[in-house]
Amino acid sequence: MEVHQQLSQRRRFRLATGLLAAAAAGALMLSGCTVSKQGTGTGDAAKPAVLSVAASAAVTTWDPVRSFSTEALYMGNIYETLLKKNPEGAAEEFTPVLAESWDHSEDGKTWTFHLRTDATFHNGTPVNADAVKQSIEAAKAYGGASFIWAPLESIDTPDEHTVVMNLSYSAPADIIAAATYGAWIVEPSALKASKDDENYFTTGTDGLPIDAGSGPYTLDAYTPGSKVVLTAAKDYWNKDGASHYTTVDVAITPDAVTAQQMLTAGDVDLATSLPAENVQDVAKQVGGEVRKANSPFNYLAYFNTTKAPLNDVKVRQALSYAIPYQDLIEAGAYSYATQSRGPVPKGIYPYSEDVPQYSYDLDKAKQLLKESGHADGLKLTLTYASENPSEARFVPLIKDAFAKIGVDLTVRAELFNQQWEEAKSNPKKAQDIFVVYYWPTYSDAGVDNLTSLFGYTEKPFFNLSYWKNDEYNKLLAEAAPLTGSDRPAAQAKYVEAMKLLVDQAPGAFLYDPEAIMVVPKNLEVGEFNENYPFTTFFASISPKA
Amino acid sequence: MWRFIASRVGSALLVLLVLTLVVFTLTRVIPSDPAVVYAGPKAPPEELARIRERLGFDRPLPVQYLSYLGGLLTGDWGNSLSTRRPVLTEFAVRLPPTLELLFAAIVFALIFGVILGVLASRKPGGPLDGVVRFLSIGGISMPAFWLGLLLQIFFVGRLGILPATGEFSKEVDYVSPITRVTGFPLFDSFVTGNWVAWSDGLAHLILPMLTLAAYPLGLIARMTRASMLEVQSQDYIFTAKAYGLRERMIRWRLALKNAIPPTLTVTGLSAAYALTGTFFVEVVFNWPGLGQFAADAMLSVDYPSILAITLLGAAGYLLANLIVDIAQARVDPRVRIGSRKGISA
Repeated sequence: MEVHQQLSQRRRFRLATGLLAAAAAGALMLSGCTVSKQGTGTGDAAKPAVLSVAASAAVTTWDPVRSFSTEALYMGNIYETLLKKNPEGAAEEFTPVLAESWDHSEDGKTWTFHLRTDATFHNGTPVNADAVKQSIEAAKAYGGASFIWAPLESIDTPDEHTVVMNLSYSAPADIIAAATYGAWIVEPSALKASKDDENYFTTGTDGLPIDAGSGPYTLDAYTPGSKVVLTAAKDYWNKDGASHYTTVDVAITPDAVTAQQMLTAGDVDLATSLPAENVQDVAKQVGGEVRKANSPFNYLAYFNTTKAPLNDVKVRQALSYAIPYQDLIEAGAYSYATQSRGPVPKGIYPYSEDVPQYSYDLDKAKQLLKESGHADGLKLTLTYASENPSEARFVPLIKDAFAKIGVDLTVRAELFNQQWEEAKSNPKKAQDIFVVYYWPTYSDAGVDNLTSLFGYTEKPFFNLSYWKNDEYNKLLAEAAPLTGSDRPAAQAKYVEAMKLLVDQAPGAFLYDPEAIMVVPKNLEVGEFNENYPFTTFFASISPKA
Repeated sequence: MWRFIASRVGSALLVLLVLTLVVFTLTRVIPSDPAVVYAGPKAPPEELARIRERLGFDRPLPVQYLSYLGGLLTGDWGNSLSTRRPVLTEFAVRLPPTLELLFAAIVFALIFGVILGVLASRKPGGPLDGVVRFLSIGGISMPAFWLGLLLQIFFVGRLGILPATGEFSKEVDYVSPITRVTGFPLFDSFVTGNWVAWSDGLAHLILPMLTLAAYPLGLIARMTRASMLEVQSQDYIFTAKAYGLRERMIRWRLALKNAIPPTLTVTGLSAAYALTGTFFVEVVFNWPGLGQFAADAMLSVDYPSILAITLLGAAGYLLANLIVDIAQARVDPRVRIGSRKGISA
């Protein structure tokens, strides 16, 4: 009896497993059908023309005023600024966007922007002087990058399409108005609603964040950490700058190797960040080309100038001569980089080829160490950001090279936040060398890189060399206001300051990485713009005929 | 049985409480300013002061801890410092895909691990045993991210029969969007009869599932094989053989039933282990789960998110253990009786 029961149970079990297997097989067959439809890219006429993109950019906020992170990829396609700064080498410095023309007073303290009359926000309200005034005032008051508007005193709107910015000191309001962050013009009713509600934009309505821009795209769908769907804005005011696709579907893909797999498997049409070491292979596989461009990023190493032995300029110069720059570029950037000329990245104002560089010269390094009384060697510590893989690759080369001149370097990898907090707390006890990856908030590396990184402040903020040089600070103070009124004169002062900086070597200037991109053969992609490193302008992409 | 469960749940809660204290302390004593994580390193000092005051970082740590605990109990797990959204909202979006992947992998590993283990135990040292040993040791020792890449290269690059990444094809959104029922997309597409999405989702599930299942599958197969060998030398097996019961019946019903408890223990533990293991697999397959969120949280010292993820991982472990204990009590009466007599915890 019991055996019989067991047997019938076994039959039932068999039946169940048989069904399961059949279901699984069916599913596989079905899925086989779906999979074969993949990778169609632009789609057929019946379906929307979709550009699918793998991008690493996550979204911290959908608030265009408070935004100060990687969401600029999407924001820059939804919102617009008054002007756009063109990449180095362009015929004009700026492209007019919401402003048609602009001029400034001789002293660089009054800037007048004339707005175009036909621009509208996505909800149909006109982009007028009041919207500009409110957007910029909001950015100055509580923006993520509020400090970029520090020179701004007041804004006048003499008429519907004229905006006058009154600055408390001379400053380049054109560059500031073209900034990546803090310069987007936002529809005023959304500004009002979000003033006291930080989450207004992100919470949105019906699960969709609020979009109050005037740009070529509207936000169509968003799944945190997973995808962003942008749709070509209906009735976009700028026919020439409109999208070539109905929809841009972005798969948020933080890992570059995964993005590579997606691109080569045909899951996406374009990947915004790929592993530098593989771009040539990827280009071969997808039949595209590798494109290089300037980027606003650079790597440098601060020397702690408050304590021995790095308070001695000769020791700092010796270390600067002991760095194998080309090897660092090969290891850190797979050769997609150039040796820095001071802390201003190539292509960003006030970069200049006149600023000298140190060469890798161990004899000179040893000589200088000897002159400084350290012929028998030194012991130093270096910290770098453990989450930065390039630093992890090139820092050991510095250690090896220093060993050749008798400098024993202890290397410590720390999370950037931790490294930074420690460095700011007590310079006397802090590290000797601090490796940092830096970029300017907007395209004026005079007030940003040169001032933030090496300008002196009582309490250290970003100057983690703790260097204090009165002549340098004086040159910066003279150059900054000239940027607003006489840019070539300002550039000359900055170059003088950079020459002094390189000579005194409160830091070693390592390399400026290039932006690299694989342009697949079936796409036309606009030029990479180093002034908007976090944004790919999707409207500049079109299918190749 | 209920008393057994109650005492287990009680001790689990205590463990979780201690864990919050440890993780909270650890994430707050390392030199990283939560206000800087929130506003970015370039935020000026006045802005940081404003944020500290608004988010309560200027209060003493014990006060912050107590208010955090109070929040935990009332369902406010704090806001992520990097995404600025409530941690629970982040979880609501990201946890279901992770759990679906985990569930599929564990069920797959359990079914095939047991089958392979039993088959291998038939003739120890035989060719089949050798193959199973190779597969299981390979599965245990191969890092998930590497196995994932190999599977992608083979199934996607060479054969071109499976999708490389993601949870669904992008076309699904346009052709046959999924109606939300429970928030578990694969399950929802099944119950709403959305076969286009469901089959597409299954195709996307296969490679990450295999990758994630490799480790538990190897473990389960080895464990099943070992305990089958042990059980097969017991007297009652000889008796069954003497009664003339068929070999297959003895192996798959009598022996397996007695060999399964250790396998269940291993499954439970590896399920909890796989919860954090999914993080690697998710990165390789761009699976929209908790993995990347967890990695970002740790790198940026986003302490409310780190705490929540740790709590989730620990709760997963404790829950898996509890389920295993209950399952064992069902399979093996000795566990039940032992607990009633107070022998086992």
